[in-house]
Amino acid sequence: MKNKKCVAMLLAGGQGSRLGVLTSKIAKPAVPYGGKYRIIDFPLSNCTNSGIDTVGILTQYKPLELNDYVGSGKPWDLDRLDGGVHILPPYQGQEGGDWYKGTANAIYQNLEFIARYNPEYVLILSGDHIYKMDYSKMINQHIEDGADCTIAVLEVSMEEATRFGIMNTHEDGTIYEFEEKPANPKSNLASMGIYVFSWEKLRKYLIEDENNPDSSNDFGKNIIPNMLKDGQKLKVYRFNDYWKDVGTVDSLWEANLDLLNPKIDLNLSDSNWRIYSRTNGMPPQYISDTAKVENSLVTEGCEIYGNIDYSILFNNVTVEEGATVDYSLIMPGAVIKKGANVRYAIIAENAVIEENADIGGDPAVVGTDGWGITVIGAGLSVGKNAKVSANKMIVNDVKEGDEI
Amino acid sequence: MRTATVAGIVFANSNDKLLKRLTTHRSMASVPFGARYRLIDFSLSNLVNAGITNIGIITKEKYRSLMDHIESGVHWDLDRKNGGLRLLPPYSESGIKRYSGTVDALHGAKDYIKRCKADYIVLCAADILANVDISAVIKTHIKTEADITTVYHNGILPPNREDAMLFTLNTDNRITAIGFDGEVGAEHKYGIGITVIARELLLKLVDDAYDNDLPSFNRNVLARKVSSLKILGYEHSGFVTLMNGTDTYYKANMALLESDVRRQLFQKDRPIYTKIRDDMPTRYGTKAKVTNSLIADGCVINGTVKNSIIFRGVTVEKGAVVENSILMQETSVGIDTQLNNVIADKNAVIGDGMVLKGTDEKRFFIEKNEIV
Repeated sequence: MKNKKCVAMLLAGGQGSRLGVLTSKIAKPAVPYGGKYRIIDFPLSNCTNSGIDTVGILTQYKPLELNDYVGSGKPWDLDRLDGGVHILPPYQGQEGGDWYKGTANAIYQNLEFIARYNPEYVLILSGDHIYKMDYSKMINQHIEDGADCTIAVLEVSMEEATRFGIMNTHEDGTIYEFEEKPANPKSNLASMGIYVFSWEKLRKYLIEDENNPDSSNDFGKNIIPNMLKDGQKLKVYRFNDYWKDVGTVDSLWEANLDLLNPKIDLNLSDSNWRIYSRTNGMPPQYISDTAKVENSLVTEGCEIYGNIDYSILFNNVTVEEGATVDYSLIMPGAVIKKGANVRYAIIAENAVIEENADIGGDPAVVGTDGWGITVIGAGLSVGKNAKVSANKMIVNDVKEGDEI
Repeated sequence: MRTATVAGIVFANSNDKLLKRLTTHRSMASVPFGARYRLIDFSLSNLVNAGITNIGIITKEKYRSLMDHIESGVHWDLDRKNGGLRLLPPYSESGIKRYSGTVDALHGAKDYIKRCKADYIVLCAADILANVDISAVIKTHIKTEADITTVYHNGILPPNREDAMLFTLNTDNRITAIGFDGEVGAEHKYGIGITVIARELLLKLVDDAYDNDLPSFNRNVLARKVSSLKILGYEHSGFVTLMNGTDTYYKANMALLESDVRRQLFQKDRPIYTKIRDDMPTRYGTKAKVTNSLIADGCVINGTVKNSIIFRGVTVEKGAVVENSILMQETSVGIDTQLNNVIADKNAVIGDGMVLKGTDEKRFFIEKNEIV
């Protein structure tokens, strides 16, 4: 096995509980995005486009869909003779095994995997964000700075800074302090959860941390502060492009509709930085003569007979005649039947909205008090003439005529 | 399930001359179709959907585009150790000789046929558009102990297809006569270019025909063997188109605008696979007005599109009106431009304010890479 310059470890084990029913059966990185993608397509495509060909994906929560999707990694060019993508679930050793206790523990349990490639650097990623990034630039800066750890940061507004892990730095970008969700932020550099470590340092701190029974085995809470305390050289890598967390229903919805915003530069088929995904075998979309499609993204397998405005239709979606879809995400295989109206909603995979049902609320009409995106869970059906108002998360079928 | 007992052979250059302008630089097999396909995708997918993963494509000429399209075969799930997809360019022991007939072509592919370890071979023509359940055909072939089973369609014979086999069948589906040059416009049972035959028998027939300088497998071999061999017909009653000219090509594309045709050609349990480009979903702008059209991914539509077939990566600017047209991959249509009855080949660039109108009889053809 060849020595690799950098191995990427992608933390994909979390439940993403804030996405509610959207992650009740699948892990967050497997959640559909942008019509034909899944969230994990972004870190994977970024890796392959950055020249990183060895990626470990650490799974834990409901990994089946994700495992199936990733497969041998071919769609992302990660099906390689040496390296490639590897799914890394928790496993049994000679002395038993353990679920991943925290982000640092998850990497700790896979030190042997990383060691097989004897890399110089390790890139830690999460599968929670939509962004295009050339990791090789971050790694080069890490090397030039002679840093022990480099943390990618995004400039946020001072108000937003209270919600993030904030890096307080000297002028030269050296981190002297890390504050988690500070009430009075001293800087506006928010951690993106993307770290480059020198391999030996990472190994040392992970082992020390594992031997500390009081640790929560978390990068942000334990590893980074410990390295700071010991006077290790930590630097920030500034990232300036689009980056969106998709951990909540609102942010997932927004991140999708950002694709429709002409002011936001998020071109996913830029030949210089393509985002790959696994799809095949679906016919082109058909737009009928009763359809009206404006300001939207529609993809393969769709059959559109109704009106679509400012929405994203995923693969194999059917919108029947007289149905309307506005400001919504209709995920793969969902069906919106005749006369149904969907607005400001996320209709998850294979859900069926029966005739004349009414989903979601327009904030301009129902007011912004208590307003929110309505979510219909995967595979559910909302009966004829049923009505589901704004800010609802539906986890069971809705009977004909019911009002929620 | 062991499926290595059947191999497939696709004739990539079947009837190239019938689609003149579209086959100037490519084989029939590579002719773009249906917003994101090439004609050969249908034969390849039919074979793969029947579990056949050992497939040879016999090519005669102009096969660069085809090579580029099939790559390793991975998009049809044919990147295999056991079998896989092979391009079979012209080969002959006595110098390079381009195939001059199907007997020649098959004889040139003898090496492949001998080595493929299959009990049966399925021969497919690339100029036939249909979704055929080949595994059902094979099952019937084996069950009836036929020597040869060939698929036919009962329909109106189109012009320019003097090569189409016309069958007379008895009540047991046995083909008692094979004719050619039937009455155009009349109903016939005509072959749709899919034939199942035991590998050993194929080799023997090809060798015999080659030694006797016979050019056509269908006309000079099959047609003469109806008495000595048990040749059965298998009816395909679903949608099928025999390519016989640019007009049929145009109409076959437009047929996809009917949901019934789409249902028959694109079946969930027998999908049509093709090379993937990883395009973004198609983006519809504020002023987009699209009706009755088939649109591939990667397009940006800001104008009006009606009754048209739009391939991947096409851009239609504001104010442009595209009607009754086929725009192939990466075509761009400028601001306020009007197109009607236009067939644009790949990468065509149509500037602003143009008006290009063809008619039902003569469609306006724009060459590949042409700038208008």
